[in-house]
Amino acid sequence: MSVTVRTLDELLTPPTAADSPLSTQEYFVNMGPQHPIAHGSLRIILLLDGETIRKVIPVPGYVHRGIEKMCEHMSYRKIITLTDRMDYLSALMNNWAVARTVEKAAGIETNSRIETIRTLMAELQRIQSHALWWGVLGMDLGAFTAFLYSFRDREIIGEIFEETIGARLTMNYIQPGGLMFDILPDFAQKVKKLLAYMRPMINEYDTLLSGNAILQERLRNVGILPAKDAVALGCTGPVVRASGVPYDLRKVEPYGVYDKAEFDVVVGTKGDCWDRYYVRMEEMRQSIRIIEQLIDNIPEGQYMVTKYNARLKLPKGRFYGQLETARGVLGVFIYSDGNGDTPYRMHFRSPNFNNLWAVTQIAPGWRIADYIAIQSSLDLVIPDIDR
Amino acid sequence: MDTEALEKLVMGLEAQCRKREQADRAAVDVPVSALEPLMRKLRNEDPLSFDLLLDHTAIDHIHEGLFEMVYLLYSTRHGHHLMVTCEIPRMDSIAPTLSDLWPIAHWQEREVFDLFGIGYDGHPDLRRLFLEDGWKGYPLRKGYTDPDMLEPA
Amino acid sequence: MGIVLDRLPGFLEPIPGGSVLITSIDAIINWSRSNSLWPLAFGTKCCAIEMLMATGAPHQDLARFGAEVARQTPRQADLMVIAGAIVKKMAMRMRLLYEQMAEPRYVMATGSCAISGGPFMYHSYSIVRGADEVVPVDVYVPGCPPRPEAFFYGLMTLQKMIRQGETIRKPGIRKKPVLAALPQGITIDDLHAQQQEMLEHDNMVDVEQAAAQKIWATRLDQWIPKPSKNS
Repeated sequence: MSVTVRTLDELLTPPTAADSPLSTQEYFVNMGPQHPIAHGSLRIILLLDGETIRKVIPVPGYVHRGIEKMCEHMSYRKIITLTDRMDYLSALMNNWAVARTVEKAAGIETNSRIETIRTLMAELQRIQSHALWWGVLGMDLGAFTAFLYSFRDREIIGEIFEETIGARLTMNYIQPGGLMFDILPDFAQKVKKLLAYMRPMINEYDTLLSGNAILQERLRNVGILPAKDAVALGCTGPVVRASGVPYDLRKVEPYGVYDKAEFDVVVGTKGDCWDRYYVRMEEMRQSIRIIEQLIDNIPEGQYMVTKYNARLKLPKGRFYGQLETARGVLGVFIYSDGNGDTPYRMHFRSPNFNNLWAVTQIAPGWRIADYIAIQSSLDLVIPDIDR
Repeated sequence: MDTEALEKLVMGLEAQCRKREQADRAAVDVPVSALEPLMRKLRNEDPLSFDLLLDHTAIDHIHEGLFEMVYLLYSTRHGHHLMVTCEIPRMDSIAPTLSDLWPIAHWQEREVFDLFGIGYDGHPDLRRLFLEDGWKGYPLRKGYTDPDMLEPA
Repeated sequence: MGIVLDRLPGFLEPIPGGSVLITSIDAIINWSRSNSLWPLAFGTKCCAIEMLMATGAPHQDLARFGAEVARQTPRQADLMVIAGAIVKKMAMRMRLLYEQMAEPRYVMATGSCAISGGPFMYHSYSIVRGADEVVPVDVYVPGCPPRPEAFFYGLMTLQKMIRQGETIRKPGIRKKPVLAALPQGITIDDLHAQQQEMLEHDNMVDVEQAAAQKIWATRLDQWIPKPSKNS
């Protein structure tokens, strides 16, 4: 059995020099942690031949805070505060993933009011997250105006969150056993006003950016990821749906009240950047559709099923729960040894971590400018990669 | 297919495969020598066809002197989940690599190597992932101490 | 600092009315610097969404402070907004970025991760507890994440510090905050004594000196600038 451990420096030895004065030599270019499209702090080392990419070496770890080690010292309610800070653009969905796993493991049954409100919050956050992704995609490709439009609309959704939850970004709202606060009486009315505002806005996004000839040239047929490769590379979420695989946890293993709402799973055909772009635009519309169906009948009931400061003890065993966040499947693996209210081992199957590896398969052969389109269309949030 | 039928089918593939207790889904346990053939069959054979390796992680059982490696598999065609666990000793922990079966295993195994120190035999590029190349120690092991870790009073 | 501004106090002060001119030039330069701070968008984590992106957005507009030109390269920036947690792997790069910025440069630590390690303070093996262990920080903005309005309060505090703090007599030197970790051999009592001394000095007016600075000499060679205790 042979295990060879290498270091990054060994990998970066440049290839030998070219023989004749006219042939080219490959060289390494560092898109370091401080970079306009880093979306966080991700270092990408590109092996280039002229402007064509030969190899992509991602080096994560610039935001690695050791969350999994910290979770072993914290009780389950405290872990919820940490999950906000992993993929902060779908913070409520991260909270729900841990809450759901803990509830399933501890045998806590929630009522339909809690599930309906959780579903509504998750879908609102999905619209907010995709709006930010759209704006940042525009900004990365050079169209800065898109950024301004999408943030204007994000703030409106953020106001609804702020009135209910109290926070704009790190929510800490969905707890094992229910919710942190109850919704206000005018929640439904505000959300309906938002939907009436948001639906024509998505059409405006299309008018602004999707029909633009330059955007079409930069996204169509660029960075194709076939369906079989996408699944083998562990991609989930809009990335794998754009490649043609209809894997959406909201339909395949429904949770919350998704089985009561009618919506379509948006699937692309080719798996190029344009498909990944358009899948997310359509998902925004489907989210609006889901919210519309659920907003009028929020059932009555308690917003917290267990007592607030009850200690949650899980039985001994291995538990795994997963959820469809805006970027993919977030899985929570808990191994509990039965004593105490802290997990023995907690692991997050983070969607961005697995989606990042796809870029090493897609990018070689394309140019640097295409690489920016590819990485933007994968929609990565870096602290989720590093945890 | 449901949990018991799946477990029976999987255990029929390999002689040394046993059921793993205390898991919330179909779970089997194999010794490390039978891990790679079992995984190959799990991916290729038809009523199983696990084509998505959802996750690979490890648990440090320091009191029993073992690392338990956990693989979470899913089949997009049939829609069933499986958890495969494998125990390796804590000293000299070496496991076979699955990166030619599922390309994502390359990336996930590097994370487990970085945080636990489990070596993968045959891995094309075994390097540290999150921590610097010169970091001493493997943080997620239970006995890991670091002067920089602050404990509350 | 340019040669002109370095020599300027020397040229202008002997001239009658020179020090008034110097303070006016100070005021103009500080005013223009504080109203056109160009941030270096050093956002690692969630605070980047709020501090760098949402403040540049139309709802809370950073352009009204003249600071919407968020640069990605430190060579063109003068305010480093540390938005996010600093990890040991990133700390070296952050120091490098700080050293690549040209003087005068300012640092604002936003969010509790950059102030003290934040929610990751305990049990984390790789986090740097506070950005001021790596770079000297001028303004701390607490919150997790701080609201954009809190960021603006921090920005306005920094603007006030710039307007009041810097002079062209001592370019680049401004009133520094007390550091969290005391260097070797200095105790908190030493700092208290030093602060006490400064307060007493600033509160006691040397009447003769004040009078001397107000008198205009009739001839140029009668004007001898009195050395003040601060320079």
